[in-house]
Amino acid sequence: MTGHLEAAKTDYRRFRGKLIFVLVMALLVAFPLVRPPLFFLTLLFSVFMYAALTQSWNLLGGYTGYVSLGHIAFFATGAYTTAVCMSRYGLSPFATSILGGVFAGILAIVVGYPVLRLKGAYFTISSLLLAVVMQLVFLNWEFVGSSTGLWYKLMPLSIEANRTIFYETMLILAMVITLIVRYVEQSRFGAGLMAIREDEDVAKTMGINTPWLKMKAFVLGAFLAGVVGGIYGFYMSYVHPDMTFSMNTSLLILLMSFFGGCRTWGGPLLGAVVLSLANQLIVTFIGAEISRILYGLLLVVVIIFMPDGALQYAKGLTRRG
Amino acid sequence: MSYVLESIISGLLLGGIYALLSVGFGLTWGTMKVLNISHAVFAVLGAFFAYWLFVKAGIDPILSLPLLAAVMFFVGAIVYKLVILPVTKAKDIVMASMVATFGAATVVENLMSLFWRPDPRVLKPPYTSRSLFIGDITISKGPLIGFAISLCAIALLYWFLHRTYTGKGVQATWQNPIGAALVGINPERVSLVTFGLSIASAGAAGVAMAMIYAFYPSVHSVWTLFVFLVTIVGGVGSVIGSGLAGLLIGFIIGVSAAFLPFAWVNVLLFALLLIVLLFRPEGLFAG
Repeated sequence: MTGHLEAAKTDYRRFRGKLIFVLVMALLVAFPLVRPPLFFLTLLFSVFMYAALTQSWNLLGGYTGYVSLGHIAFFATGAYTTAVCMSRYGLSPFATSILGGVFAGILAIVVGYPVLRLKGAYFTISSLLLAVVMQLVFLNWEFVGSSTGLWYKLMPLSIEANRTIFYETMLILAMVITLIVRYVEQSRFGAGLMAIREDEDVAKTMGINTPWLKMKAFVLGAFLAGVVGGIYGFYMSYVHPDMTFSMNTSLLILLMSFFGGCRTWGGPLLGAVVLSLANQLIVTFIGAEISRILYGLLLVVVIIFMPDGALQYAKGLTRRG
Repeated sequence: MSYVLESIISGLLLGGIYALLSVGFGLTWGTMKVLNISHAVFAVLGAFFAYWLFVKAGIDPILSLPLLAAVMFFVGAIVYKLVILPVTKAKDIVMASMVATFGAATVVENLMSLFWRPDPRVLKPPYTSRSLFIGDITISKGPLIGFAISLCAIALLYWFLHRTYTGKGVQATWQNPIGAALVGINPERVSLVTFGLSIASAGAAGVAMAMIYAFYPSVHSVWTLFVFLVTIVGGVGSVIGSGLAGLLIGFIIGVSAAFLPFAWVNVLLFALLLIVLLFRPEGLFAG
């Protein structure tokens, strides 16, 4: 009898989870209908963007522990694809953002092939340097606007309509990416990734094709980041190497994932929502440099005191207390 | 032809400076298993200190170098106590240290932009603008002086590690941490000294770099490319290896800079890094 009860409870919990998810999504989708001030749409756009980026980073960084400090390179590839297609060929970014994702994926294959074969530390630094070197190249590459950047127009609509379209697009994108990551987490693929994190050599001995799994996660993450970057590039209607390749974005992605707890799909989501809200508010009301200093400090604190994320840390505190 | 030769010579001089820039990074990696991504940011900090002393107080950067090294050692000791020591207690030291020092780099970078504004600057004492003429080859004095600084600092570091008691303690800890602790070497003190020295050498290298390149707070990520490349090519934690690797990379930069635009030189270096990582991850000059 208890078996039936347990099953009913799990069913109920699952149903409740789905219900909450649908309700929250419906509220967020409907939010622009109440005509909120533009500031809120901008704020939430960046929340969704960071949620999407952090989830895409977490595929490799969180599940396997291969921490990439250059995820921004894929994001920027997407943004630049949009910029070049838009300003040179007049193509719509809603179509070309997929192309941006494909380019980012190709880049991930080229770089990942040598680097993913090495130990985590080499991977981490190489990924950091990938972003640095690409930024230097883009700063000197005439075709992509070199150090002046590329400018192009938004859609010929009112600013409210523009913002609303971007809001909805990024919301859907963040949702789709979260669902993909959640699906991966619960699949055999995800189990393999987590086996790599626990002990790569053992995983290999058990017959898991670790280089192939790492590559799949790396390329999928890069593709998703590229798509997000494609939309972001259109949203800004301007790209510049210093802006799109900013190390601070890499830091934020890392911090959000670690802060929320990088072992499940819920952690990065939580981290992204909490920290990007806080980040936007600090940047708007205090200053960008102060916010970066605070975020750098927070990353150090999180790594030292809460390696499993703030949520787990809080749980540990209440259990002890 | 003299153009290529000039380019090679200036590349070699640069390489010497890269060697000093990298030697401390390899030292902390070798002894403490700490991968300090904020290493280059302290070089930029050193450059800013020297620049500030030069512009505000008129103290020549070469004269202020010993003071600067002492201050940077102190800074390193503080960073060690606050960031590195807690991190070395983590389960995966390498990964935790990378992430934590990445955060520290951001903090220092933005503190610098806050205090000194993020505009590019060059450290130009009057004597660096002159040049040396040998036949039809021109060598500017900035890189020459930077190279001399690096040579002295590396020699000093080598002497310290091989001839002094504390230096030998550092080496012992590196070779066998448990054995060193058993014979009474305090690992925490050794780590503190290693890290302080590493940051001090980074600061000195920053001054040498500042005489050649324009520097600004976020330039450290580009310098990190040189640091990592030299360390990987030279083998982790070998002073001589770093020196040779620095010269080799300087040579490659010199040759390629004669034929390629500046940005592509860095792409070449990055490709070289990936190739070395793939085929000889223990370094070209190791064992």
